Amino acid sequence: MYRPSTGLLFVLPALIVLAMLIAYPVAYTGLLSVTDGQGNFVGMSNFAKVLSARATPQAFWNTVYWVVGSIVFQVILGTATAVLLNQTFAGRAIVRSITLIPWVVPGIVAATTWAWMFHTEFGIINYMLTGPGIIDQPIGWLTNRDTVMPVLIAINVWKLFPFVAIMVLAGLQSIPNDLYEAARVDGANFWEEVRYVMLPQVRPVIVAVTLLLVIWGLNSITIIYAITRGGPANRTLITPIQIFRIAFENVQFNQAAALSVMFFAVAIAIVFVYIKALASQPREAR
Amino acid sequence: MNSGTQNAVAGFPALKEEGGLKAPGLGKPLIFVGSVLVVLVCLFPFWWMALSSIKTLRELYTIPPIWWPESPTLGNYYKVLFESNIPRYFLNSVVISVGSTGLALVLAIFASYGFARFDFKGKPLLQACVLIGQLLPTAAIIVPLFVTLRVLGLVNTYWGLILVYMIITLPLSVWMLTSYFKAIPVELEEAAIIDGASRLGVLFRVTLPLSIPGIVAVIVYAFVTTWNEFIFALCFATDSSVKTLPIGLAEFSTEFNTDWGAVMAASVIMTLPIALLFLSMQRLFVGGLTAGATKG
Repeated sequence: MYRPSTGLLFVLPALIVLAMLIAYPVAYTGLLSVTDGQGNFVGMSNFAKVLSARATPQAFWNTVYWVVGSIVFQVILGTATAVLLNQTFAGRAIVRSITLIPWVVPGIVAATTWAWMFHTEFGIINYMLTGPGIIDQPIGWLTNRDTVMPVLIAINVWKLFPFVAIMVLAGLQSIPNDLYEAARVDGANFWEEVRYVMLPQVRPVIVAVTLLLVIWGLNSITIIYAITRGGPANRTLITPIQIFRIAFENVQFNQAAALSVMFFAVAIAIVFVYIKALASQPREAR
Repeated sequence: MNSGTQNAVAGFPALKEEGGLKAPGLGKPLIFVGSVLVVLVCLFPFWWMALSSIKTLRELYTIPPIWWPESPTLGNYYKVLFESNIPRYFLNSVVISVGSTGLALVLAIFASYGFARFDFKGKPLLQACVLIGQLLPTAAIIVPLFVTLRVLGLVNTYWGLILVYMIITLPLSVWMLTSYFKAIPVELEEAAIIDGASRLGVLFRVTLPLSIPGIVAVIVYAFVTTWNEFIFALCFATDSSVKTLPIGLAEFSTEFNTDWGAVMAASVIMTLPIALLFLSMQRLFVGGLTAGATKG
């Protein structure tokens, strides 16, 4: 009773909008990257210029540091929180709601609030650490080259671990009860249950969430841009911010496009390898 | 009618009763310490933000920091509401978020219905394309998007941002609604069709009324995402007549001498609507979001 063309008609408006906003710009980036400001074909010279800039490799490694550092802690803390919230205790619903708050608030609000808390002179964090003598003098968290990236990663972890927690929690709650019972018959204690029942069962959720976190990590400009704009001394410059700088501060659209093409290729490669690795994994027996 | 399906999809996964054997769990003290820690970590920044927003300049800039302001003031809020562009940016944010949420919702309803109820050539491929849209690194397309918008004359217009936000909101909205529509028994629609209803009639009179929780989930998701969005707004809205709140906040805090009291007050103003919306809708929202994850 369903005619094939009707379905396509329903889907078409959304697809046209997405094609206009995604497919066309992606293709256009390719064109921009091999032309100059007047539209003349210039071959690979934009790529050469971008690659010879000192900031480019630095931004690349900063991006890797930022994404990997964020994800490791987001997944560990998020999963731990999910295991905690999977316990039955009074007030659990309230704790669960509160956990979600960091994820929902605007990234820019998180950035400014944490920037104020990490303020060198008047920040509450330096005060809390100097008080009991954990550090002897205030640290310039956001101006010191060695502390700035870890601090930004910590803020990013704070912002997104709730998302991991809620997704993993949903996975935990869909585990069939007989798996727990089988483990209990075998005399498993709590940590063995976590190790042999919960973690294997939620692995697909964690894997899917990790992919989303990689994408979000590659896209996340807000926190870094709002707090440091890539400084000090390019220590927190990640590739998306470099693209933004080249395009809108140096107004070199063609070089920015060249960098975009490379960034895009790397991102797609990561997603592809990841999905491929997913597909080849043996399915968990249920 | 059909409330069982709705609750299963919309609500949190039902809490499990521990039956039979005694369940080994975390000890009570450990649960308590863990919960307190999680709550403190999540809430302290907001507590500090609210507290800082009612401090006077003198109290903000003292060492050691003051926990309780002795003379709480609304001066920072006054400054933000009457002496800055923030109210205008607030209005811009509302217009853009509502506009793009509405547009995404309409497009997503049709597309999801098409994906959920019809079989046509290339459907798996098209569905994959929509999902890939969600995985796109947005930073890689800001340059060509800017050029495209400039050609269309949409830079620094409401429409420019409303359209661009489709990239972020539409793919996941389609994904969420498709799995929601699929959960509604097709027999209900077939009955209506036998009674002579048209396809659109079925969609609007039968399917949509049953999908209210899923639609609310999409609305909350799209609104929160666009309200919070930063980088597109930074690139495509450079005139104060269209700048959104996140940009306004960034402007406040990046000048050489940051007025932290005003920044914190503006942060509170910006957070409140989103926190209220989310906390009142979170059951629906989280249910809609996690439904796909646990079934996949």
